[in-house]
Amino acid sequence: MAGPPKKRQKRDDIKQEGQMPQKKFYRQRAHANPFSDHDLKYPASPAAMDWSQHYPAFAATVPAGVPNDDPIATPDHDKQNHLQPISKQVQVADIGCGFGGLLFALAPKMPETLILGLEIRTSVTEFVQEKAKALRVQHASTGLYQNVSCIRANTMKFLPNFFVKGQLSKIFLCFPDPHFKARKHKARIVSTTLNSEYAFVMKPGGKVYTITDVEDLHVWMAEHFAAHPSFERVGEEELEGDECVGTMRTETEEGKKVERNSGTKYVVVFRRLEDPPWP
Amino acid sequence: MRRGDATELPRDDQVGDEERPKKKQKTAPQVKPANIIKLAVSPNQQHAVAVTDDKHVRVFSLFDGNLVELSQRCMPKRPCAIQVLPENTTIICGDKFGDVYSLPLLPETATEVDTEPGAAKDTAPEADTGKPAFKPSATNLTVHTQRNRKALEAQMQQKAFSAKKEALQFEHKLLLGHVSMLTDVAYATRKVDGRERGYILTADRDEHIRISRGPPQSHVIEGYCLGHKEFVSKLCLVPGMNLLISGGGENELYVWEWPSCTLKRTIPLYDAMLSMQVPGSKESYRAYSKDGVQIPSGSGKNLAISGLWTVPCQVAGDKKETVLMVAVERMPGLYIMPTNWLPLTSGEELGLTLLDLEYPPLDVACTADSVIVSLDAREEGQARVRAYQLRHAEGQKQVWRVECTRDEEFEKKLQCANTRSVADTGVGAKALDDLLYGVANLRKRRGWGDSGKAGDDELEGGAGMEDAPED
Repeated sequence: MAGPPKKRQKRDDIKQEGQMPQKKFYRQRAHANPFSDHDLKYPASPAAMDWSQHYPAFAATVPAGVPNDDPIATPDHDKQNHLQPISKQVQVADIGCGFGGLLFALAPKMPETLILGLEIRTSVTEFVQEKAKALRVQHASTGLYQNVSCIRANTMKFLPNFFVKGQLSKIFLCFPDPHFKARKHKARIVSTTLNSEYAFVMKPGGKVYTITDVEDLHVWMAEHFAAHPSFERVGEEELEGDECVGTMRTETEEGKKVERNSGTKYVVVFRRLEDPPWP
Repeated sequence: MRRGDATELPRDDQVGDEERPKKKQKTAPQVKPANIIKLAVSPNQQHAVAVTDDKHVRVFSLFDGNLVELSQRCMPKRPCAIQVLPENTTIICGDKFGDVYSLPLLPETATEVDTEPGAAKDTAPEADTGKPAFKPSATNLTVHTQRNRKALEAQMQQKAFSAKKEALQFEHKLLLGHVSMLTDVAYATRKVDGRERGYILTADRDEHIRISRGPPQSHVIEGYCLGHKEFVSKLCLVPGMNLLISGGGENELYVWEWPSCTLKRTIPLYDAMLSMQVPGSKESYRAYSKDGVQIPSGSGKNLAISGLWTVPCQVAGDKKETVLMVAVERMPGLYIMPTNWLPLTSGEELGLTLLDLEYPPLDVACTADSVIVSLDAREEGQARVRAYQLRHAEGQKQVWRVECTRDEEFEKKLQCANTRSVADTGVGAKALDDLLYGVANLRKRRGWGDSGKAGDDELEGGAGMEDAPED
C-alpha cells in the first residue's frame, strides 16, 4: 500500500479535471532504497519507451499503433513498431524531482524543450503527473506545460533504459538524500562510477546542476564530479548568468524550505566534456 | 595444499577459464576452509587466479604441474567474475556489489600484503581517505527529514568518529561500477584502424549489458546491449567474430553484435529442449521433473542459464572450429551448437545438440582438442570430471549435429580427481546446492503486492511508512 488507503480514497474523491492535486494526499516517506527491486516499470530500452503518452502535444501526427493504457511502454521490443513517435526528445531531466517545483518553474521558460522529472516514490510521482495534467488544462489557451512530465523510476539503475547516448543537455540533481552514514554512501546519487552513466546520457557541453543544503554532501558531489574525467566544473561567473541556477535556488520545494529556515544553499555545476580519443 | 582442494584442479596446465566451483568441501567445524568459487588462468598459462568465498583473490604460479600460492588479497566484496587481461599482468575483478577493479597480477609486495598495512597506496578514486577530525555532516540549519535527523544525531553522539572504511592495502583501481548486482564481466578486444582497442563488458541482474572502454579509459561507456527481459547471468564472446552471447533468466540466448550494440538474433532453448530426442530415450527435461529439483517459483518454463563456453571442435580433417556450450542450471546436460551458425539471420532455425550427462555440469574447460566437464556427482565412485572430444561432421543430413565422444585417454589423466575419496564432512545437500546453484535466485519476484509497496522499503526494516512529512 502506498500510504494509508484513506488517503488514496480521498485523493480520488476530489479529483476533478483541471483541478490541482493537493499535496497532503500524496505525501510519502522521503527515503527509498535504491538497491531494492521495487515494483518498477521501465522500458527494455529507450526505443521501447512510449513518450507520446507523456507529451501528447508533441506526438508526431502520423496515426500509428494501438493506444496503450499503460503510461510506460511494456518492456517488449516486439512492440516498438506500434509506438507513436514524438517530434522531440526529452532533453532535460530532473532526477529526484520530488513534488516537481523545479519542473513547473522551468517548463514555461523553455516551452519547446521536453522536460522530464524522475522520481522513485509512487505517490509523489502521481502528484506531479496530476499537477502536470491540471496545469495543461488550465493553460490550454497558451499551450504551456505540455512539455513537462514525470515518471517513476530508479535512475541509479535504469537511466540507460530511458535515454540514449548523448540525449540530455541538462540534468538536475536537487537536494538529493544526503545519506549521512558512511555505510550508505554508495546509495548517494553521485559517485564516480555512477557519473559515467550521467556522462553517457549527456551530450558534450551539457550540464549537470547540483544543489544541496548539506555541506558535506556538496563537497562529496563536487569532489566526485571533479574526479571524473568526463566533467569539468563550471566557473562562478557562468553560474551567475545561468537562468537555471537561479530557478533551481528559488523554485525547488526544498529550496523554499531552506529559504524559510535561512539555511545555506550550495550550488555546483559541471559540464560534460567530449570523450577522449582512443589511446 | 592448505585447503585440501587443490587435487581437484587438473594437474596439467590445462586448467579451464573460469568458475570451477569446488564440489565437496571438507569442513571441520572450527576451521572452515574457503570454497573456490571462480577460477581463471592467465592467457600465457603461467598463473591461475582463484576466488574463494572468503572474498580473497589468490594467485598461483603454474609451473611443472604444481600450484604454488603467490599471493592472496582480500577484496571489499565477494568477487563474482575474474579474468586476466591478454597482457598477462592485470586482473580484472567484478564484485556482486557492482564494482569492477583492476589489480596487478603479481602485487609488488606480494608476501607482505597482509602483514604490512599502509604500505600500498590507494588508487581508487572513490576511496575515502578518512576525515581528519569529526565534523557533523550538516548544521542545524539543514532541512531534515526525521530519519536524516536521527542519523545526524547518532553521528554527533559518536564522539570518536573514525573513518570505518579501511582502504585496501594493495594496489588496485576502481574501473567502473553498476548500482545493480553485477553478474558477469568479459574483456573484449577488436582492431580499429590497425590498433587494438580493449573493452570491458559487464552484465547485471537488472537486464543490462554495458560496454565500457578498457583501461585506462574505463570511465567511458560506449553503449548498452538492451533487450533482456530477465536477469543476465552469463556473457560469452565468440572468438574471431564481434559476437557476444548472453543468457540469463530467459528461455533463449541473445546474440549481439557488441561493437554496435545490436541484437542479431535470439536462440530459443526451451522449445529445442522439449523437441529434442535424447539418445537413450531419456527425456531431456527430466531435470525438471526429478525429485528434489525445484522449479523456479511460478515460472516452470523459465530456465536459468548457468554457463556459456566456447570450445574447440574438430571438423573434417585437421580443420577446427568453435562451438558454443550452454549449461542450464541443474539440468544434466549441455547444449552444443557450432558458432559459425550464429551470424545466420533470425528465423533460420539453429540446430542444437544435447550432450547428455549423468549429473548437472558445473564448469567446462578445454585444451587444444579436449573438453573437460566437471559434474555435480556427490557420491563416492561417480566420475566428477569427464573429458570429451567434439566433432562436427559436415555434409550430413543434420548439419548442425556435433558428435561428442568420451576422451578415455584424457580421462586417465584426470583419474585422481575421479577416484580420490572425499571424506564425508556432513555438509548438507542444501548447503551444497546453495553453493553451486545460485543463478535461479537472481530472478525478481515481480507482481506481488500492489504498485505502491516498494518505493518505501528501507533495507533495515521499513518501519514508519509516513514518518517524515516533507514540509
